[in-house]
Order: sequence, then structure tokens, then C-alpha cells
Amino acid sequence: MFFSSGFRIMSTVSMEPLLHHSVRESVRYALKSRIFKPSSWSCSTNHKLVFHARSFCNFRSSNVHALRASTTTDTDLVETLESTDIFFKETFPLKRMETVEGKIFIRLDHGQNNGNWQLTVGCNLPGKWILHWGISRVKYVGSEWDQPPEEMRPRGSIPIKDYAIETPLKKSSSSEGDALHEVKIDLIPTSAIAAINFVLKDEETGAWYQHRGRDFKVPLADYLLDDGALGPLSNLLIKAEVSPANDSESSNESREAKKKGRSLEGFYEEQPIAKQVAFDNSVTVSVRKCPETAKNLLYVETDLPGDVFIHWGVCRDDTKTWEIPDAPHPPETISFRDKALQTRLQPKEIGDGCCGLFTIEEGLQGFLFVLKLNKGTWLNCMGNDFYIPLSRSSSLLAKSRQGLSGSAQILEKNAEEKEEASLSAYTSGIINNIRSLVSDISSEKTRKNKSKEAQESILQEIEKLAAEAYSIFRSSIPTFLEEPIVDTEEPIAPAKISSGTGTGFEILCQGFNWESHKSGRWYMELKERASELSSLGFTVIWLPPPTESISPEGYMPRDLYNLNSRYGNVDQLKEVVKTFHEVGIKTLGDAVLNHRCAHYQNQNGVWNIFGGHIKWDDRAVVADDPHFQGKGNKSSGDNFHAAPNIDHSQDFVRKDLREWLCWLRKEIGYDGWRLDFVRGFWGGYVKDYLEASAPLFAVGEYWDSLSYTYGEMDHNQDGHRQRIIDWINATNGTAAAFDVTTKGILHSALERCEYWRLSDQKGKPPGVVGWWPSRAVTFIENHDTGSTQGHWRFPGGKEMQGYTYILTHPGTPTVFYDHIFSHYRSEIAALISVRNRNEIHCRSTVKITKAERDVYAAIVGEKVAMKIGPGHYEPSGPQRWSLAAEGKDYKVWETS
Amino acid sequence: MEASVICSSQAKIRKTELAYRELGCFDPKGVSKAFSAKSRVCFSPSTMWRKAGIRFTLRAVQSEAVRSEKVSGPSRMSKSRDGVRLFVGLPLDAVSDCNTVNHARAIAAGLKALKLLGVEGVELPVWWGIVEKEAMRKYEWSGYLALAKMVQDAGLKLHVSLCFHASKQPKIPLPKWVSRIGESDPNIFFTDGAGQHYKECLSLAVDDLPVLDGSTPIQVYHEFCESFKSSFSPFMGSTLTGISMGLGPDGELRYPSHHMLTKSNQIPGVGEFQCYDKNMLGILKQHAEATGNSLWGLGGPHDVPTYDQSPNSNNFFRDNGGSWDSPYGDFFLSWYSNQLISHGNRLLSLAASTFSESAATVCGKIPLMHSWYKTRSHPSELTAGYYNTTTRDGYEVVAEMFARNSCKMILPGMDLSDEHQSHESLSSPEFLLADIKKACRKHGVEVCGQNSSASMAPGGFEQIKKNLLGENIVDLFSYQRMGAYFFSPEHFPSFTGFVRSLNQPELHSDDLPEEEEEAAGSLNVSSEASVHMQAV
Repeated sequence: MFFSSGFRIMSTVSMEPLLHHSVRESVRYALKSRIFKPSSWSCSTNHKLVFHARSFCNFRSSNVHALRASTTTDTDLVETLESTDIFFKETFPLKRMETVEGKIFIRLDHGQNNGNWQLTVGCNLPGKWILHWGISRVKYVGSEWDQPPEEMRPRGSIPIKDYAIETPLKKSSSSEGDALHEVKIDLIPTSAIAAINFVLKDEETGAWYQHRGRDFKVPLADYLLDDGALGPLSNLLIKAEVSPANDSESSNESREAKKKGRSLEGFYEEQPIAKQVAFDNSVTVSVRKCPETAKNLLYVETDLPGDVFIHWGVCRDDTKTWEIPDAPHPPETISFRDKALQTRLQPKEIGDGCCGLFTIEEGLQGFLFVLKLNKGTWLNCMGNDFYIPLSRSSSLLAKSRQGLSGSAQILEKNAEEKEEASLSAYTSGIINNIRSLVSDISSEKTRKNKSKEAQESILQEIEKLAAEAYSIFRSSIPTFLEEPIVDTEEPIAPAKISSGTGTGFEILCQGFNWESHKSGRWYMELKERASELSSLGFTVIWLPPPTESISPEGYMPRDLYNLNSRYGNVDQLKEVVKTFHEVGIKTLGDAVLNHRCAHYQNQNGVWNIFGGHIKWDDRAVVADDPHFQGKGNKSSGDNFHAAPNIDHSQDFVRKDLREWLCWLRKEIGYDGWRLDFVRGFWGGYVKDYLEASAPLFAVGEYWDSLSYTYGEMDHNQDGHRQRIIDWINATNGTAAAFDVTTKGILHSALERCEYWRLSDQKGKPPGVVGWWPSRAVTFIENHDTGSTQGHWRFPGGKEMQGYTYILTHPGTPTVFYDHIFSHYRSEIAALISVRNRNEIHCRSTVKITKAERDVYAAIVGEKVAMKIGPGHYEPSGPQRWSLAAEGKDYKVWETS
Repeated sequence: MEASVICSSQAKIRKTELAYRELGCFDPKGVSKAFSAKSRVCFSPSTMWRKAGIRFTLRAVQSEAVRSEKVSGPSRMSKSRDGVRLFVGLPLDAVSDCNTVNHARAIAAGLKALKLLGVEGVELPVWWGIVEKEAMRKYEWSGYLALAKMVQDAGLKLHVSLCFHASKQPKIPLPKWVSRIGESDPNIFFTDGAGQHYKECLSLAVDDLPVLDGSTPIQVYHEFCESFKSSFSPFMGSTLTGISMGLGPDGELRYPSHHMLTKSNQIPGVGEFQCYDKNMLGILKQHAEATGNSLWGLGGPHDVPTYDQSPNSNNFFRDNGGSWDSPYGDFFLSWYSNQLISHGNRLLSLAASTFSESAATVCGKIPLMHSWYKTRSHPSELTAGYYNTTTRDGYEVVAEMFARNSCKMILPGMDLSDEHQSHESLSSPEFLLADIKKACRKHGVEVCGQNSSASMAPGGFEQIKKNLLGENIVDLFSYQRMGAYFFSPEHFPSFTGFVRSLNQPELHSDDLPEEEEEAAGSLNVSSEASVHMQAV
């Protein structure tokens, strides 16, 4: 018993970061956190006693054990075990986290192309490492993080907003032959870079490796020493500390790297890091009756490495009270505080692992044990002691289970066996938690709001499960991949307007660029263009972020209710919205919900106290961004590092944001939303906001990196689009998402003349638009990728091919302001009118007729044919095609 | 022991765990047995809830056969809720033809979602062409057993549909050996006037002919049922509460009169009579000679329209003076429909006797041939084998046959409303449904409802509700069917709404007690738990 109580404490501790107010609420929080981040259960702990074996005995067939047993040298033992009546045999999988130590190294030297300095960052632990980095500029006092110039970015780098770059580390091997992951950054001597800042991110675990909760910093110019204020900079690299497993406190602080000199010097620095890696082992227990003595012989065998101790005892009844059985005990057995015995398992003679044989008197009900590894690590069975039944009735039980092994083995055939089991364990766990919560509530007859809360969490859970089932069904049944396609003959009924699709016939205009704030009267300038945009055929305009903001572009909002921005004041905003409504264009507000800049500092000088109309304190800030010392829960998504990330799991936060959006709808007249940086929080919250504010259209910016192999973009970007689809799914389809996948593939196809990329393995469009067209908002450029920022600019001169693609294809196309008011204007206008004339909508069908090296062609909705690329293509078929639009390397036809 | 703990006021964390334990083993026998076996599973209070739950339910299986009848009789089931019990169909291809569970993870997640929603169970189509695929009497149940286990673990009930037909979409053929026989002897299939064979199921005329390597189809079906019964005995009456017997095309008791599908937007035609395989013609000839009209036995009627034509394009179905209304018409139509009804009787009595000791209810499905209902002759029903016209009630005999075999009738089309039917088809699903229900009520046949259209028609849920809540003849509804569309954002929210409104019609009320009831009721949690406790 005392073991179990010990372990109960542990399991409670592992939930602690999620607990908030009371025990009852802990159930809910635990649930929520599980919903969003199932991984938090396995990796969030910072103590060692986190092991729970799972027992899915039915999934292991007994012949597996037999095989294993026969490989041991204990032949006589094995024989007896095999030949006599084994009435119990079970293998318990053991999951063990082990801390693996490795190093991060940073090297600054002259690269191969002599002259230029090169910074190399690497790591020798396995993982999916990403360097998340940015630069500090000389004489720039604003943000510490800024994006490096284009030339410095290694291939495969992805800009993260406007302040950082993410570059995956590539596998290579060191001179000793160890596998290494490293990335090299070429420094540009001419650029005025003061320092490179970075953190190392492990995508597998989501862990960030920093030093002392702060970023790594490599100073390149040391003029700052004059400044004095930034003294720590000279202390450049201090020991890396791992945020999730920070118990490795090492002493080698800045043993090198005192770069006081004024000129740049090469250096090499290593930082030890530790990472938790999961290992799977198992323990097999078999019990047989010794025919001579009528005693039970219990054989324990495990493949755990190193010294394994078994703490054990017996019990006489169902209370499972530990008792010490009578002697004789196996060799190397000691009594442990008079309550249990501790026996060292003997190493097997052949093969890894160890085993032990125990003789148990008759008349005992069960055998209880836990395992202890040499490092003081305890292993138990799902938080309980392992329990092995010994009595006759239990042997019957075990037999009847064997009778069922027929069906159990079927499951085993399934390759996904284990995964499935754990999945079902996971979901049924959720269900059970919810159930217990509900029954708890109803049995106590608590107040109304409690049962409402319970219901809400249940409904949320149902939605989660349905979304999961949906995504698997969608992707596993090819015939169901496309959504039911509306017959082209019948127009979509207006009743089908939903926030995820609008009417289905929307064409968006992004109504600003990165410079639009400069005039200070952008709203008024836009207003003058309203009727023009309407006549071009646009139905929706995306307006810039309207709130007061730390940055002039508006993406660093502070007081959400202050709508006087660099684009104009609140009255001008209302006026421009009204004007667009008059010309029949709907307006989207750019809502920044992921982060919010603070008004005040807390007692540590960290900016995380909010003022203005919505006064939040640090509880509104996520806890896992070290920059801002939030006291909320962990983020349900990725973090944006330049401002405090809002903790959307807090009810008060969501309530305030819902109210704000409703207020914007009513007060300003916005018809819908463009949602900034939705990677930062769970899509389920977006659904909440959208249901509350009931927009006519909503689109989220879910921007992450495409997959590359050796610097070359992979043909198959299913993983990338799946992530976007998963997000849409999490919003329950209430929001569309920008089709970043399509843009990325267009880049490669056009830039390198690889038009074959535009057909996926199944002959469908390779972007989000190929899988979920009605929720895909296609675009080729926006204020971040293009404009004066140019983070990921569309291949120059090929914009019209891009527009030909997105304006003839399903999905909801977006045209960037800069392109409309450029020399492309008339060509874009022609394409829009082809789209409108032929009633191409977000769900139109696409038949790809050609996808070769130099030409891509498709027929959309049976009435429009298009081709892009220098190669030749003419549509054929029974229809009569007439040319509708034409330009450099593109042609569009329609049926006449 | 457990009951006393529940009453005392323990620390919260312990309490929730205990509550959970009962619920974890939702299946009643599981609980009773596991408890009576003195909780052999590790039960120390530090349980990580979810994991223990899995373990527990796994154990629960073992005790299956022992106590099944005692704790969960059918009486408890039918009383489990005042309203309608709701089932949801699993994907048609839930088990692949190599006997693995298709998209098992999706189904697992789906089952949990349904359970949380308060759905009672799921319907699982079991295909002849998968189980007995390779050779006669060589059955492979593994995939279906695995699925049944998943259903059981999810705490849901199971209704199995035995499918002795093939499916086009998704493609699930008849057993290979049956198809091979059919290639050499196409007369085992239904055949239309033009000599085209319908190869998705066997003709009812061969029911008692030894066409399958010396066995009659009835024998083969019977052995299939026996094998099913013994393989599923651990689930019978507990998890498995209903079995529907496949009776013909798409499992329905009818002729494949409409199998030449017209284009989706077109008005369905009248269909064609399917009495032209050698054996049918033989029976017809015999029957004609026996009744002294040997000339009438040479074939079906000569003046019928083709599949997609309207009733008036030929003489037979004309409202006034059509030959259906003649002595010949009566002769032919009576014979044609009697063949169908005796076929149904053969299969249902077979099923009823096979499954008589099991606690599962036996059902049969009949079609809702609602187009042209507003004409006098009801041509669609006639060609499908239902001699139901404005002057004759064709469903009385059918209902009587179901009553004789104590079978439940599955009625599709509960989602169809007259106003959404195309005007020209002169269709009336609502009236036809009312006719059939009336016949059932008269003979005391219970009805299990289904919806017809895969994607809900506008107002479909409303229509279903109307059909379910109005009268008490329908006590179970089987919603068709789980899949990508089912869980899509377009559909699932409205389904959720439907389920909630079904269980709790007074949802809109703001009363506090009702709120509480709903929380408990829709989850079906606390009440169930206490039932179990008393049972122990």
C-alpha cells in the first residue's frame, strides 16, 4: 500500500502545472490540457518518477512469450514453465524516460568560400532540430530580434513573422562518425549586424533549448561594450539549460568565450544539453503451480538494462495489503522497512535483461510488486502496483482469457495495434474523466452552472473526437477525399453561407501593404478606390489591423478598443467600411488574437500587465514563453516571441475577446475576420470566437514551413497541408485558411520550371485546395511575403501565372493590393471576370489535363480551361473552346 | 464493498475515481462479474484513471457468457429511455475484404463521440461476400469480432445486419464461389424482360433449389446464421441486441426493379418486373396452369414501360383502364408479390428460429417505394413486389408475415417529406410510410426507422423527429451512416443537435431541474451507474 500512496503523489505532481484553483477544477484542466497537447503527459515532467507501464495483455499473444523464453539459457526452468500448467502469463509494457546527454556546439570560423565568417550551430542528439534565430542590428534600439537579410538565410529557412527565421538543422556526421545535426550561416560582412540570437527547438518534443531561460547570443560587433548597459553580451555563451528537464545543473559557466577584443575572432564552444528520450521495455510474469509442493512458482523476466530490483510482497485478500511472505526468499533479498522485500533480479545468462524466480506459499491471493532501477527510478503498472493473481479462481480467469485470445490475436495482426491501443486508452480516458466529473456533479446536486460547464466540456470533447474521426475518414478513403461536389448546374443556395466559405463565390482583395500606414490616411485612400475595386469584381476586402499598436503596421496591438491607428481614426474606419458596403464589398477586420502588447511592467520589470479597456494581468499570458513570465496555462500553440502570447484557455480572456469581436462587428460593421498567427493557439478557440461573432467569412493565417529535403522542396507536401487542414478541422470548419501550401508549390513550379509539381500523387491540386477547396483561401503574395518586407516573395515576373492558377481554380482567391494597382491590373481584371462569368466557386471541380515539366493545364468546372508554363497546350473535347485571357506563359479558355 | 464507499464522503479525487470505475465498465455484465470476482484488477486508489479503465474493460470480456442474461435482459434495454433509442450505422466497408478493420482509429474515435452524445448503439453490416468469401462453409469472422469488441469496449450496443447481397459503392461483391457459380448459371440471378441479370443477389426463385454446389441458398444462409450465432455468442444479448436478416437487393425485401439507375436529377421511372429468370418463369407457368390460365404463364405483362419511363408511357400502369386493373393484372401481381412474401417468410422464419434463444431481436427491412404513390396503380411498388394500389392494401400481408415470425420491421425513408419530392414523380413518402405503419400497428409489429438519403435532405432531421416523436410504434432509429460526411462540419453539428433534441425535447426550457436532467440524461451516466450498483 505504501508504494501506491507514494505513486499517487507522483501522479498528482505531474498534473500540477495544469491545476489551478481546486481539486475539482483540476479534473477539468487536466482534461483540457490533454485535449490540446496530449504530449504534455509524457514529457512535461521534471522529475523522474513518471513511469507507468501499460497493460494490454490481450494484445500480446502467448507465443511471443514462448519465443522469448526459449531464447534464455535457463533451459530447465523454461522447460518446466512450458510443460506444466501455467495459469497466468502476462507481459506488461514498460515505458521509461531516460535522460540522454549531448551537446550543442557553436562555431564561428571562416567558411570554405574564404573570407566570409560562418557560424555553425549543431547538436549531436537525435531529434528534429530547428534553429530559431534572428539578428540584432547595429544602432537599432527597437526589438532585439530582427530578421537577417535574405542572403544570410540558408535554404529551407522559413520566416516567422517579421522577427525571426526558422532553419532546420541538417544531418551530417562528425569526424568521429557520430551523427550530427548542424546548420551553417554565412555572415555578410557588409550588413551591420550586432549579434545573432537564437534558440534551438526540438520539433519532436516541442522543447526549446536556451540558456538560463534566455536566448543564445553571438555578438558579432562589440561596439556595444562602449555602451556599458549591455554588459552581459560579452559574456556570450553560458551553459545551455533545457527548459523541460532543467535538473542538470552544471558548473562550466562561460569557460571560454570572453570576447573582449574589438575584432571578430573565431571560436568554438560546446554546451551540454540533456533530452528525455522514451524507451520501451517490458516485464513478463508467469505463474505456474508446482505439482509436487502445491506452491506457486512465479517467474519474472524483463529486458530492462542494468540492475533491476523488484520490490515485492504478497496479499491475502482484495485490499491488496502488502505482506512479507515467509522465508525462504530468493538470493539477494533484503527486507525493506518491514513491509516489502527487495530482490535483485539476476542477469540472464544469454541475452539482455534479468529474471527472477519466486516461490509463493499456497493460500495467498496475489503477488504485488514494483520495479526499481538502479538510479532510484520506480516503475509501476499504470500508477498502481503490479498485481499478479495467484488463487484458483484467478487461474480460471486467466484461462478464460486465453479462450478469447482468438479475437485478441486478430487485433494483433493489425499493424497499428499498439498505437490503436494507446489511442483508445487515451480517448476512453477522456471519456471516463468526463463521466466521473459529470456523475460527481450530479450526485452532489451542484448548481446549474456546474452542469452547464460539464456539458460544455463534453460537447467540446465530442467535437474533438468527431474532428479526429473526420480527418482520418477523409484521408483514408480516396473516394471521399473531395467534398461532395455541388453540381455545377445548380448554383449554391444562398442559405449555405457559412463563415468558412462565405457564399462560395468570394474573391478577396488584400487592401493594404507593408507601407500603407505611412500616409496616415490609408482608410481615406482606400475609400476612393472602393468603387473601382467593386467594378473589378472583388466581393471582399481585407482591411489592415485597426487597433492601436506598438508597431505602426498594427500587428502589435495594445489597447484593443482604441481604433485610432496609423491607418486612420475610428471614424474614418467606419466611413471606409460603410463605403465598401455601399459598393457591395464585404469587409474583413484583421484580428490579432494571438498576442497583445502590455501597458505596464510587473515587479520584475517584465512587460505583462495590460491596461486600456481590457485590463488583464499576467494570468492572461501563457506560461511557457520565458520572455514574458506569464502565469496562465501553457500555450495551446506556437509562441510568437515579440509580445506576450495570450492564454486563450482562460475563460475571462475568451469572454473579453468574444465581446471585443462582437463589438467590432456591431460598432465598425466588419463582416468577417482575417485572423493573424493562428498557429499560436488552438483552433477550437477560434471556433468559439467565430460562433460568438457570427462573421460572414473568416480566414486564418496558419503559416509554417514546407518540407524540404537537401534544400529542395519535396513534391509531396501532404504533411504541410494536413497541418493546415487539421487547424481548419479544429475550428470545425468555421474558418478557412490561407493556402500556404499552394503558394509554396507554385514557387517551386514556376521558379524552376517544374510544372509537374502542380499535380499531387492522386492527380489533384497539391495544396490545401486539392483536399478541402471550400476552406482554402489561395494567394500568391501578402504584406509579409511581398511588399517591402519580401520575406518569401513570389517568383518575379511570374505573378500572372500564379494569378491564372488561383483565379481559375476552386478555393477562394485573394489578390494582393500591390498587384491590383500595378501593370498587371487589366490582366487580373480579365481573369476575375472569367471566374465570375463562368461561376467558378470555391468547390468547383478541377480536372488536371497536363502536368509536365514545362506546362500545367486543367479544366475547371467543365467550362473553363487554363494552362500555365511555356509548354504547349490546347484544350480538346466535345466543347468548343474560345480564348478568354492570355499573357506571358498563360492562357485561359472558356466554352462558347 | 463498492456501494458503501460511494455513499461515504471521500476526498474528491477518490470519489471521481470510483465513479469512474463503474462507468469504465459500462457493460453491465462486466461490472457485475468483475465486482463479484472481488475486483481482481489492481484497484488501489492511486489509479491513473484512463489506463485502469482500459484494463478493466478488457477484463470485463472474460466473464461474458456467464451472467449475460441475468443482468441485462431486453426489458432493461427497452426501458432505458422513454423516447427513441438511437443507433448509427457503421461504414459499409468497416471491415475490409481481407478481414481487417478499416480506419479503425477513426471508428474508435467515432464510437466514443457517439457514446458521449448518448447514442445507444451502432449498426454493423456483415457481408456474406467477406465472411464466406473463399469457399462455402469457410467463415472468417475475425474482422467483425474485432469490431464488435471495439463497440463493446465503447459501451455501445450492436445491431448486426446480415447482408446476403453485394454492394456497388463501396464495392463489396458476393462470395467468389457464388459469383463463379453465377457465371456458369446466370439463372440464379434476377432477370428482367430484356434478359439482363441483376448480379447483386440471388433470385428468390432459387431459394430451395440446390444451385450452390448441391446446397440450396436457404441452407447456405442458415449455416451462415448458425456460424454467426456461435461466433458471436459472447456478445449475444448483451452487446448484440439486434440482427437484421438480409432479404434481397440492398438487404430489402423486394425485387431489384429499379436497379437501372437513372441520372440523379431525373425523375425515377416505374422500374421493371424481374420475373424472367428460368426458374421464375417456371414457377409462373406452373401457377398459371394450376389456375387454368396457362396462356398467362408465358411471361410477364407485355405492356409495361421500361425502367426509367413514367407510368403513362405504356398501358399497364395507366390510371384508368390500365391492365393492372384487369383479371390478368390481378393474377400476375398477386403471384408476383406472393413470391416475394413467401421468400421473406422463409428467411425470417429461418432467422427467427436460429436466433430464438438469443436475446437479440430479429428484424427485416422493407423498402419505401414512394414514387408514383399518387397514381392509382402505384407502379414502383408493384414492380418491387408490393401489390399495393389505391384499391388494395398490400402491406397487411407483409406485416402479418413479420408478426408471424415475431420480427421487427425496419422502415427506411423516415427523413423524406412530401414537400421535398419532385413534383412530377407524384411521390409521397409520408403517406406510404403512414400506410405501412398502420399495417404494422394492426399486427403489433414494432418498427425500427432508418433514413434514406446519405446526405441529409433539407428538413430531414425535422422529418425524422416528426416520425419518431409522433407515435410510439417506432422505438428505435438507425441513422445511416458513419463516414467522412457524417463527421464533417457540414453535417455533424446538425446531427448533434438532432440527438440532443431527440433525447430532450424540452431543450429550450430554462428550468434548472431540466438542465440537470439533461446533463445526466444525454450522457446516460449517473443513472446507469446506479442501476449497476443495485444489480451488484
